[in-house]
Amino acid sequence: MAAVVKIAGVEKVYPLGKTEVRALSGIDLSIDEGEFTTIAGPSGCGKSTLLNLIGCMDIPTRGEVYIEGQPIAKLSDRELTRLRLEKLGFIFQSFNLIPVLTVFQNVEFPLLLQGRWTRAERQAKVTALLAEVDLLKQQQQRSSELSGGQRQRVAIARALVTNPRIVLADEPTANLDSATGERIIELMKNINKTHKTTFIFSTHDPQVMRQAGRIVRLKDGHVAAEQRS
Amino acid sequence: MSSNIAQFRLIFAVALRNLWLDRLRTIIIGGLIGTGAFLAVIGLSLLLDVQASMRASITQSIAGDLQIYSAGAKDKLALFGGSGFMGRADIGSLPDFAPYRDAVLGHPNVAAFVPMGLDMAVLSRGNELDDAIDALRVALKAGDESIITGRVDQIKFQLDQVKLELAARRLLSSDQVEIDQQERDLARALAPEFFSQGKAIDEEHLQFLETKIAPLSGEKLPTYLQYIGTDIAAYRANFPKFKVIEGAALEPGQRGIMLSRKVREELLKNGVAKLFDKLHKRLVKRGGTISGDEENQRFATDLSKQYQQILSYLDRPNAEELSAKLTARGIKDDSPDLVQRLSHQVSAFLTVDDKNFSERYHWFYEHIAPKIKLYEVLPGQTITVRNYTRSGYIKTLPLKVHGIYNFDGLEDSDLAGVLNIMDLVSFRELYGQMTDASRKELEAMRAQVGMRDVKSEDAEAALFGDGGLASAAPSEAASETVGDVSSSNQALIVKPTLADFFDPAEVQNGLALNAAVRLKDPSQQNRTEAELRDKLDQGGYKVNIVDWQQASGIVGQFVNIVGGTLVFALSVIFLVAFVIINNSIIVGTLNRTREIGTMRAIGAQRSFIVTLFLAETGITGMLGAFSGAVAATAIILMAGRKGIPAANDVVTFIFSGPRLYPVIHWQVVTSVPLLITLFATLASIYAARHAAKVQPADATQEKE
Ligand SMILES: Nc1ncnc2c1ncn2[C@@H]1O[C@H](COP(=O)(O)OP(=O)(O)OP(=O)(O)O)[C@@H](O)[C@H]1O
Ligand SMILES: [Mg+2]
Repeated sequence: MAAVVKIAGVEKVYPLGKTEVRALSGIDLSIDEGEFTTIAGPSGCGKSTLLNLIGCMDIPTRGEVYIEGQPIAKLSDRELTRLRLEKLGFIFQSFNLIPVLTVFQNVEFPLLLQGRWTRAERQAKVTALLAEVDLLKQQQQRSSELSGGQRQRVAIARALVTNPRIVLADEPTANLDSATGERIIELMKNINKTHKTTFIFSTHDPQVMRQAGRIVRLKDGHVAAEQRS
Repeated sequence: MSSNIAQFRLIFAVALRNLWLDRLRTIIIGGLIGTGAFLAVIGLSLLLDVQASMRASITQSIAGDLQIYSAGAKDKLALFGGSGFMGRADIGSLPDFAPYRDAVLGHPNVAAFVPMGLDMAVLSRGNELDDAIDALRVALKAGDESIITGRVDQIKFQLDQVKLELAARRLLSSDQVEIDQQERDLARALAPEFFSQGKAIDEEHLQFLETKIAPLSGEKLPTYLQYIGTDIAAYRANFPKFKVIEGAALEPGQRGIMLSRKVREELLKNGVAKLFDKLHKRLVKRGGTISGDEENQRFATDLSKQYQQILSYLDRPNAEELSAKLTARGIKDDSPDLVQRLSHQVSAFLTVDDKNFSERYHWFYEHIAPKIKLYEVLPGQTITVRNYTRSGYIKTLPLKVHGIYNFDGLEDSDLAGVLNIMDLVSFRELYGQMTDASRKELEAMRAQVGMRDVKSEDAEAALFGDGGLASAAPSEAASETVGDVSSSNQALIVKPTLADFFDPAEVQNGLALNAAVRLKDPSQQNRTEAELRDKLDQGGYKVNIVDWQQASGIVGQFVNIVGGTLVFALSVIFLVAFVIINNSIIVGTLNRTREIGTMRAIGAQRSFIVTLFLAETGITGMLGAFSGAVAATAIILMAGRKGIPAANDVVTFIFSGPRLYPVIHWQVVTSVPLLITLFATLASIYAARHAAKVQPADATQEKE
C-alpha cells in the first residue's frame, strides 16, 4: 500500500518572544492509505502541531511533509488551501460549524468552495452523508440547535463530503461525554472501512485509542513508540 | 455555474447573518452612509436645479454664455457686483471690438457677439425747491399770469416749510451765526414784497432762491448708477429676459438710458412710498409683525418721521385738500397754520402699527400718492449723470430715460437690478474715450484754464460737489464743450453736447470694454470656450474669456462654492465612514477569528474571505445609501410641490425667482447611491484583507 502521508525529518519551531519552542523535533512517519491512526501522548507533546502539518495548515520548519507524494513545504498559501479543499477533511474538537448555516448548508459548504458541482449533485452527496451520520431529519436545523454529538456528526459529514483522501481530527471526542465519543469513533471507523478513507486523529482517551488500528505515541516532539493492533 | 450562484448566495447568507449579529455596528455604518447619500442626492439635485435656473437668468439677461474682455484688465469682470463696494472695476478695454467680433463669429457654435461696457457714474439730484424754482422760471418765460401765481404759491408754501425746518435746526446747530444769516435770507424771501413784481420777477430773485434758500431745504445725496452700455439692437435680439415695463424701449440709434425697475424703486422713489413698500413686503407678504421685530420697528419709526417727504411735494390747494381728507378720516389737529397742522396730521398718519398698517398702506396709495411725485424720474425725462473719466476729467452728460425695464424672473433681485442699460455712444462719452480730436480739445481747454493736471481727489470732490438735477450753476452754463474751474475745487468739468440720435453704424465697431458671446449649443460651452481662446490667441488678440458663472461675479460663483462645500462635507462624512468601517471590521475580525480560521482550514481561499467582508459593507452601504436616496427623493418631491422660498436677495438671484422648485434628477438618485456603495465597498478592502490573514490553524483557537 502506498503512503498517503509521509513525514521526513520534520521539525517545527515556534517563535515565542525572544526564545523559541521546539514543538516537533525530528519526526519520521509514514501513513498508508486506509489506515485508522491515532496520535497519542501527553499534553504539549506536539499532537496538534503534527496534525496541522499533515493538514497543510502550517509548514514544517525543517524536513518535509508529503501528501500523496507531493511535498508541501514550498507550496503557496493558495496551493495549500487548494490541497486542503481537495484532499483533506477536518474534524475539530469544538466542531467548528458555521452557526448561521443549517446542517445541510454546513455540509454543502466545501462543495460550494470546490464550485464544480451542480445543485443536484450537491443535493445527492449531502443527503447521502447526512443519512450515513443519521441527521437527515435535522438537515434544515441550525447547528446551534443541535447537541454536541449531533454537531460532531455534522462535522464528520462536512469533512467527508468532498470525498477526501485523508481525514484529520484533533481530539474529536474531547468535548463529548464518553458514550457519545465512543459512538463518534465508531462512526469514523465505519466510514474508514466503507469509504477506505485514511483517518488520523489525536486523543488522550485510552478508550478511544483502543479503537485505532495504529497508535503513534509522541513525547516531547518526537515519536516515542508505535503500535499496531 | 449554478454552483457560483450558490456560492454567492452562501456569502450573502453569511454576510447577512453577521450584519444582523452586529446590528448596532450595521446601523451606525449604514446610517452614516445613508446620511452621506441623503446629503449628496439633495445637494447635487439642488445644485443642478440652481445651476439650470441661474444659467437661464444670467445668460439671457446680461452675461451671455461667455464674456470676453481685455487681458490687460486689472480687476476681474463682475457683472453682478463683486469688486469692492462703490468701486469701479478696471476691466481694461477693447479699443476696437470689430476684429474680435469677426474672429469670434467665425466659430460655428457662436450665435452672437454683443459689445458692452460696464461702468458707474453719479446721478445728480436736486431737491423739490430747485424743481419749483425751475418750474417758475419756465412759467415766467411763457408769461401766463395764472400759472406764475400758482408756481409762486407753491414756492411760498415750501418756504413756509423751510421756516419750520430752520427753527428746528436752530435748536440743534452749534453755529448760531450761520442760522441767523439763513433766517435773514429766508425772511427776505418770505417778505410780501419779494414776489410782488409778479410777471416781472427777475433772474436775480430766482438766483437768490436757488443759491441761498434751496440749499436750506435739504440736499439729496448724489447716488451712483451702475450701467451697461451696449449695442441696443444686438442686445435686445439676444437677451430675451430684458422686458420693458414702463415707457418705451431704447431703440437702435437712440441715445439714452433704460433704468432698472429696482434702481428706481430703491433710489428714486419717494421715501414714504419706499418705506410703505418695504413694510408691506415684510408684514403682508412674509407675514411678519411690527411689534417684537426690531427691524420692522425701525422701519415703522423711520416712516413716522418722513412727513417732509410728502409735504414738500404739495402745493397749497393740495395740502388743504389732504388736510381735510385726513381730518375726515379722523386724524385731526387744531393748529391754525396749514404747514404745522398738516405735518402733525401726516406724522400721525404715518405712525403705523400692526393693526392699522394694511389700511394706511392702501389709503396712502389711493389718496396721497397721486398728489406727490412718486418717482424722482419718469420715462421721458432727462437725467444728468457725471463721471470721472479715464482721461482724468469730469464729464457731465444728459441722458433721456426712455423707459423702465426688468429682467424676467429676477424682478425681486437687487443684484440683478443694479444695472441700467444705455447706448454705447453715451457710454463711450462717459467713459471718456480719447479720440485724437478730443485729446486736442482737452489740451486746449487745459491751456485755457491754466492747468496741467487734474488731481483725482479734486475730481472726486467736483463729482459730488454740486448737485442739481436741473439746476446748473450759472458759471457752468451748458453750451458747447467748455472748460470750467469751479471756485471750490480745481477739476475740469466737460459738458459735451450730443445729438439724441446717432448712426447705428457707430456701434458696429470702436470701443467696448467687454463683449457677451451667445452660443448656439450651450452644452458645448467648455469646448467652444477653449476653441475661442485658441483662436483669439493665434490671432494675437489678448483677451480673457470667462464663462457666465465667472463673469457674473461672486454670485455666479455660488454654484461652485456650494458645490465645493458639498464635496467637502461629503468627503468628511466619507472619511469618517471609511475609518469606522475599517476599524469595526478589524475589531470584528478578532471575534470572528475561529469562524474565519475554520473556513480557511476547510478550503476557503483568502479571496473568499475578502469577498465575504466586502459583501458585508456592500450590503450595508447599499441599504444605507438607497434609504438615504429614497428619503432625499421624498424630500425633493415635497419641496418641489411647494417650492423653497428664497430667504434673501442673494438667494432670490440664485433661485432666479422668489422660489426654487426642485425636481428629481433620476441620474443623481440612481447613480449617487451606487457610487457610494461602490466607494464604501472599496474602502473596506484594506480591512477585508486584514481579516483574510487569519490562519487556518486559528480554527482551533479556543474561544466562544
Ligand atoms: N502557535 C504556537 N506558538 C508557540 N508555541 C506553540 C504554538 N502551538 C503550539 N505551541 C507549543 O508547542 C508545543 C506543542 O504543542 P501542541 O499544541 O502541538 O501540543 P498537544 O500535544 O496538542 O497538546 P494538548 O494535548 O494540550 O493539545 C507546546 O509546548 C505548545 O506550547
Ligand atoms: Mg492539541
